[in-house]
Amino acid sequence: MNYPVWNVPYIGSGLVIGIVAIVHVLVSHFAIGGGLFLYLTEKKALREGREDWLKRLPGYSKFFLVLTGVVGAMTGVGIWFSIGLANPAGTSTLIHNFVFGWATEWVIFLVELSLAAAYYYTWGRLPSGVHVRLGLLYAVSSFLTLVIINGILTFKLTPSSAWLSVAGTGKEAEHFFEAFFNPTYWPSLALRTLVCISMGGVMSLVFFSRLDSEKEGEVKRGLIRWASLWLLPAFVFMPICFIWYLSMVPESQRELLSLGISTIGVGAFTQVTRLTLIAILTTATIVGVVYFLAFLYPRDFEFGHAIAVLLLAFLATAATEGAREMLRKPYIIFDYMYSNGTLKSAVGKCNEEGYMVHSPWKINEGMFESGNLRGSLVMELGRQMFLGQCVSCHTVDGYRSMRDFLYDRDETAIGNILAMMRKTGEGSPYSKFMPPLVGTDEEIDALKKYLVSLTSPSKGKGVMEVTSGERELQGIVKGN
Amino acid sequence: MSNQSETMGRIGGDEKGPESGDLMDRRGFITAVVGVVGACYAAAIGYPVYRYLASPVEEAMAAGAVKEVTLPKEAMDLPQNSALMFKFGTRPALLIRHEDGTYTAMSAICTHLGCTVTYEPDQKRVFCPCHSGVYDAVSGKNVAGPPPHPLERYEVEIRDGQIIVRRS
Amino acid sequence: MGKLLSEEVKERKSGAVARIYQWVDERLGLSEVIELAKKKEVPEHRHSFWYYWGGITLFLFLVMCVTGVLLLVYYRPGDEAYESVRQITYDIKFGWLIRSTHSWAANLMIGAAFVHMFSAFFMRAYRKPREFTWWSGLVLLILAMVFGFSGYLLPMDELAYFATKVGLSIPAVIPVLGPWVADIIRGGPEITGFTVSRFFALHVVILPALFIPILIFHLILVQKHGMSVPDGEAKDVRTIPFFPNFAMRDLAIWLITLNVLALLAALFPWKLGAPADPLKPAPMDIHPEWYFMSSFQMLKIFGQLFPGAVGEFLGLAVFTLGLVLWFLIPFFDPKTEGGLRARATMYFGLFVLGVLVITTIWGYWALPSTK
Repeated sequence: MNYPVWNVPYIGSGLVIGIVAIVHVLVSHFAIGGGLFLYLTEKKALREGREDWLKRLPGYSKFFLVLTGVVGAMTGVGIWFSIGLANPAGTSTLIHNFVFGWATEWVIFLVELSLAAAYYYTWGRLPSGVHVRLGLLYAVSSFLTLVIINGILTFKLTPSSAWLSVAGTGKEAEHFFEAFFNPTYWPSLALRTLVCISMGGVMSLVFFSRLDSEKEGEVKRGLIRWASLWLLPAFVFMPICFIWYLSMVPESQRELLSLGISTIGVGAFTQVTRLTLIAILTTATIVGVVYFLAFLYPRDFEFGHAIAVLLLAFLATAATEGAREMLRKPYIIFDYMYSNGTLKSAVGKCNEEGYMVHSPWKINEGMFESGNLRGSLVMELGRQMFLGQCVSCHTVDGYRSMRDFLYDRDETAIGNILAMMRKTGEGSPYSKFMPPLVGTDEEIDALKKYLVSLTSPSKGKGVMEVTSGERELQGIVKGN
Repeated sequence: MSNQSETMGRIGGDEKGPESGDLMDRRGFITAVVGVVGACYAAAIGYPVYRYLASPVEEAMAAGAVKEVTLPKEAMDLPQNSALMFKFGTRPALLIRHEDGTYTAMSAICTHLGCTVTYEPDQKRVFCPCHSGVYDAVSGKNVAGPPPHPLERYEVEIRDGQIIVRRS
Repeated sequence: MGKLLSEEVKERKSGAVARIYQWVDERLGLSEVIELAKKKEVPEHRHSFWYYWGGITLFLFLVMCVTGVLLLVYYRPGDEAYESVRQITYDIKFGWLIRSTHSWAANLMIGAAFVHMFSAFFMRAYRKPREFTWWSGLVLLILAMVFGFSGYLLPMDELAYFATKVGLSIPAVIPVLGPWVADIIRGGPEITGFTVSRFFALHVVILPALFIPILIFHLILVQKHGMSVPDGEAKDVRTIPFFPNFAMRDLAIWLITLNVLALLAALFPWKLGAPADPLKPAPMDIHPEWYFMSSFQMLKIFGQLFPGAVGEFLGLAVFTLGLVLWFLIPFFDPKTEGGLRARATMYFGLFVLGVLVITTIWGYWALPSTK
């Protein structure tokens, strides 16, 4: 615990990142796919002499500039803020390893933004050939941002054996390229490129659906058709790339996928399966809906339909990104750092010397007496253990609620759970999805006392007894 | 009514424009894509249904596939009043050495909701932490909490200095 | 119209598929059906959105049939009911998903049917010649609710047990016959394995046998009369062909419905409570399914206004009267465009909708808090 803990009540810090990141993923993939769309559409329109298409493109490019430049850039910075607060240890590891990569990305990002603006403001002011080439330049530079960030994203799941062998020694930089072009880099790049192209299509559907079907019927037909074709490559190659990606994922993590097949009883940890199911189904639905509504009857394709497609795309993105993040359980950086920031290599040391002992935030006897803290020192220690090791995934009363999970358990039962969670490997069924609990016996005992204070013993008794089974089940399912 | 014929006409692809030459190719291509998407759907729906229907078959196969397991030699060094987790086929199982030196082996899957159970040396009982289910450490009988059935017990035999666990 | 499509069929006649199609067509007359479907027109206006709700309800019913048959594979009525549902939920692969889909589809289907009914009401689709469509639709909705009620008991967990117990107290308030009726439904004075067996027979044999013919009747009538056009849009309305234009859109909406259903079933799987135990006290927040909440709450209100059996009976009588009036609406408002009766009907519809919504919310709000 080297950093203060950002404790977000009810939704948890992870969901904050999730919400910001899903919007960012949608918009940033559009920034790449849409750039390619603008370039190819302008080129096609010039080649085929479609004046009516060219007339609509500046408006589209304004929509593009505003959406990507404002929402995309803002959420991008938002991710930085939220990951730094939610998981400072993980973020710090990423920065230490990829500071050069990130610096490069930011330079390219500046180039990208300037080109997007230049592209919009030079409509009709540059010779058309030059303007088209400006569009190409934009498309290439925006794709380069993906090339870089993809390396850092995939690193978290598959940091490469070369990097892992030197992790924590201070010589990680020697294996920058192994870590960057890690095993899942290429399949992930292929998958994301396909998503970019589809997002270019989806957003174009949204924009061109507002053309008037009566007055601008012919243009609308052409553009909507053309935009819906952009979803095709993704759906032809997506399954292959998905299988390629999965084959590169470590066996232990692939097992998480099949966990949810049998039951919701171990339910706690079956969200990956369920999210994957939704992602596959939603992706197929998007193609179906675009084919039936947009491709077959482009003129009747209205704004409401387009919004339905966009919402489905949002859903698919949320499901896939969620599944991808959960596939890494219990790590934030696979095989190196657990999701609560504890290093895998530090588990033994923490158990021996204590989890809080080296923390600059530890409350000691002296501070306790002089301050205004309530409750006993033990409770405060327990609360800090909870903040340090649990709140990166759990909240007290909300997402993956501890209160729901603990429900009416007594001290012995909680002690048993904690004892089991300290074990690793086969000894604990939780070790596949949750970091081991670390700390000295005294610290674990303090955590137990704190958790006991969250239970609601009276609820499990008397008239409410009948629903307790259901409530506990909910606890398990939510307590993922 | 005016736009009907046009709407219908659109099915065949653009009648105008340079790409009308390869109209059949494109139609074939789109048919293929719709096929892929259909297959995607069929898989997303068919796979769960198949696994659902085949479940008892899989169960029987899994039960029949592994009849006995030989534990590594280290299992003999298990201290008294302690337990060892091992895999019986694909499923977790528990080998308990009691204080009198005898062994008991049983499935470690709680019959309530399928969590993994553990042995508690201080209370000499098998405990499921998910919903505080308690089983007898010798017989595997469900003695307290929500579990509806006892844990499945296996036979333990010591042969040539190795522990062999077998389905009875 | 449809030239290209028939050309398309001709073009394909060379292949094996075409020969099979021709073979079947000569014997069953598929082309005639397609030709007929193509002639059918669907009006297109700003209220067209509401036309899809009947289709959504139908689609969800089909999902119910498929998942219902799948559940039937492992479900065992009678005393083993709870154990078999526990197996489905926790042992059988994807059993939880099939069960969740069935439960969610049931709720969504009744919700969609309500939307469909009120949209038909406010667009005055019950007027001549569509009276029978209106009546058959109402019967279908009532049957669907009985479906829901009987299905709710089948897992035989605590919630199912007590909700059914509370639910069966409603027919018991009918004077003289009531207690006898309730006993017959229950198969005894208490809810037991016998009750489950009865409800099972009702749920999988009797109700489908009633529901499906009426559904077919309803659909034939919809085909026969076409879509009704609301008053304000009647003049010079644009139409699109039913096949393929409207059918394709319907298909797209079905895909979205399926997706929403999968999302709910996968992310919010239906739970199974503790096994039913008549000796335990009922949970405090016991309540019927949301679509019975309104009637449940109205009975409670009348019970408080008029203490004793009188109040409950009055509540039941008012409810029945409302239902009868709802049935008879086509006679009250046959064809008076913008007239006094049309307006009165609209106010009546808004009143009914308001009462249903308010009593439902009131019902949930008045539940003893579990927090």
